[in-house]
Amino acid sequence: MNTVNEKVNKTAEKGVDNRKVFAYRVGIRFIRSIAVAFWVTVIAFTLIRLAPGDPAQARLGAAAEPEAVEALRKQLGLDVNPLEQFFNFFRGLIKGDMGISLQFDREVTDIIFTALPVTLWLIGFSVLISIFVAIPIALFVATSNNVLIAYIFRSTTAISIALPNFFIALLGILIFSIRYNWAPLLGYTPSFPENLKYLWLPALVNATTLVAILSRVLYSSISDTLKEEFVETGVIRGIKRPRFFWFYILKPSLAPTVVLLSYIMGVMLGTTIIMESIFALPGIGTELITAVISRDYPTVQGITFIFGIIVVFFSFFGDLMAYWLDRRVKF
Amino acid sequence: MSNSALVDIDSLQISVRLSRTRRLKIVDYASMKINPGEMIGLIGESGSGKTMLCRALIGTLRRRDAYISGGSVMFDGMDLATAKNDVWRQVRGKRIGYVPQSALAGPNPVLTIEAQLLESLGGDETLSRADAKKRAKELLDIVQIRRPDIVMKQYPNQLSGGMKQRVMIACAIALQPELIVADEPTTGLDVTVQAEIMKLLKEIRDQFNTAIILVSHDLPLINDVCDQITVMHAGATVENIASAEIEKSKHPYTIALYKSRIDLAPPRGELITIAGQPPAVGAWQTGCRFNQRCDFVTDACLIGEHPKYIELSATHQTACINHAGIEAKIGSSL
Ligand SMILES: Nc1ncnc2c1ncn2[C@@H]1O[C@H](COP(=O)(O)OP(=O)(O)O)[C@@H](O)[C@H]1O
Ligand SMILES: [Mg+2]
Repeated sequence: MNTVNEKVNKTAEKGVDNRKVFAYRVGIRFIRSIAVAFWVTVIAFTLIRLAPGDPAQARLGAAAEPEAVEALRKQLGLDVNPLEQFFNFFRGLIKGDMGISLQFDREVTDIIFTALPVTLWLIGFSVLISIFVAIPIALFVATSNNVLIAYIFRSTTAISIALPNFFIALLGILIFSIRYNWAPLLGYTPSFPENLKYLWLPALVNATTLVAILSRVLYSSISDTLKEEFVETGVIRGIKRPRFFWFYILKPSLAPTVVLLSYIMGVMLGTTIIMESIFALPGIGTELITAVISRDYPTVQGITFIFGIIVVFFSFFGDLMAYWLDRRVKF
Repeated sequence: MSNSALVDIDSLQISVRLSRTRRLKIVDYASMKINPGEMIGLIGESGSGKTMLCRALIGTLRRRDAYISGGSVMFDGMDLATAKNDVWRQVRGKRIGYVPQSALAGPNPVLTIEAQLLESLGGDETLSRADAKKRAKELLDIVQIRRPDIVMKQYPNQLSGGMKQRVMIACAIALQPELIVADEPTTGLDVTVQAEIMKLLKEIRDQFNTAIILVSHDLPLINDVCDQITVMHAGATVENIASAEIEKSKHPYTIALYKSRIDLAPPRGELITIAGQPPAVGAWQTGCRFNQRCDFVTDACLIGEHPKYIELSATHQTACINHAGIEAKIGSSL
């Protein structure tokens, strides 16, 4: 009896401790996210300078006088050595100042604040659609236990993963914009909910792949959960349907999908550039591309810094959410 | 005695649907009686169909694409083999409790211990929420968990294997059922914890007069705590015997299981194991399904159907057609 009671006491204390441990880990993750953003910026800072070409030259054109180019370089703060440029950039960053764009004479923070929401809206909207479609599909296929349904599910998801997004996007434009005129061909309004008019089609295109990936992962987790012994105890306890579906099937299965989704959302920051250019959306991906082409150093650095922060934040949030859903997840 | 049996399983058959047309018989002859307050051990190698038999008693076969294809499962006058959902709602969890196989996977990982106990108590509509919480704490006391207030708020992954299994037992006894089905409740636990769980189950039986089916593949472990032992081999029950009489077994498989116990192995000597593998489901031979592994096999064992129970006494049935012949040989070899 003694051995058991000792064990009880030990685990009982663990419960109190857990909150401290949890807060500590959240702190660690926060510091790590800053560190990752820092390194991403360092790498972007270095790589953009290794690329051939000069911002002043790019802005004034190939025919510009060397003196004029030199004067502009001085004005843009590019005449000092790279290490000093880096410290200048970071000194500004701490104060929330990312410098001034070399191509537009606009604050980099201003560019980010106008362009980033477009991209985040697009990602958020795509993810929202995907979640609402993927969960019922995965639940239905996994619980139906029908070979034919499973076969259809596997083949359609494989097809929609294999089809390139830009191809689906062009089809979407042909059908919904040109033929039926349900979606505007281009343009954007930043205010909600008017922006949904411009976002629904690109979000839907994004969702075709995302639904396939998410529902596949969720389907396999749910199938595993259904084999578990604790599902039997739910039946024994006579749990009513909606509660049973949530606490005995979905909640114990969601964690891997949530973690994957948080990574995908990070990746989508970069990949939505394709959607942005096809649908002419003024998003952050578009800004990054033009900034790289015109060697707009501060803008490239600012955007990559923000990307670093967001990617780490997404994955942090995904891990947190997975832990909240399912305590078996290590956090 | 047999008239007053709480559970009377007679010639039960269980099959699974492999596809639209293909069926596979997993259990083809299971018979056992359980009296109120009786503790009965169900023993057999893994794959012999013990878990399927348990599921027939708690009505969760359908979830695994399995169904009862013959025989009857009488529980207090009701035939559970043909029971509809409304009958199951009255029986499952309320009159028959269940402790699932494997301690580690038993409790729901996304619910706190308190939530799971309250769910188990949910079948009693007369209980107010405050009373249910009080009762939940009492249940943890019964299964000897200290500091129930802290444990209540915890998730299963914060508990040790033995604690998890105690919680599962608490859930099973929540509504004071007449029967508890415990499917290998100690698999995966330390030997000392195993003994403690066994002791706890016995205490619960003594305290509440609950009949218990204790499934195991470890005969020595359960022989001490159970009143009766039913032995299963390849989808069939082959012997039912009082645990006190186990040495007078009349079935070669029971004898082999008993002899393979470790504490009978001579020091530094060879551990006695049962030769060969049990036949796979769907590949059962004609005659007795133990005939390939049996030391006492005769020509009669190789033909016909797998033998059914031969009644030796009220508490002793065997499926060995040679039970009279093997008696003398066993006496000398044990
Ligand atoms: N859905 C199924 N399809 C095919 N075979 C199954 C299925 N479920 C169980 N079985 C088989 O039935 C046999 C009995 O299983 P089980 O009752 O779990 O055995 P035990 O609990 O005695 O180890 C095993 O051989 C197993 O492989
Ligand atoms: Mg089993």
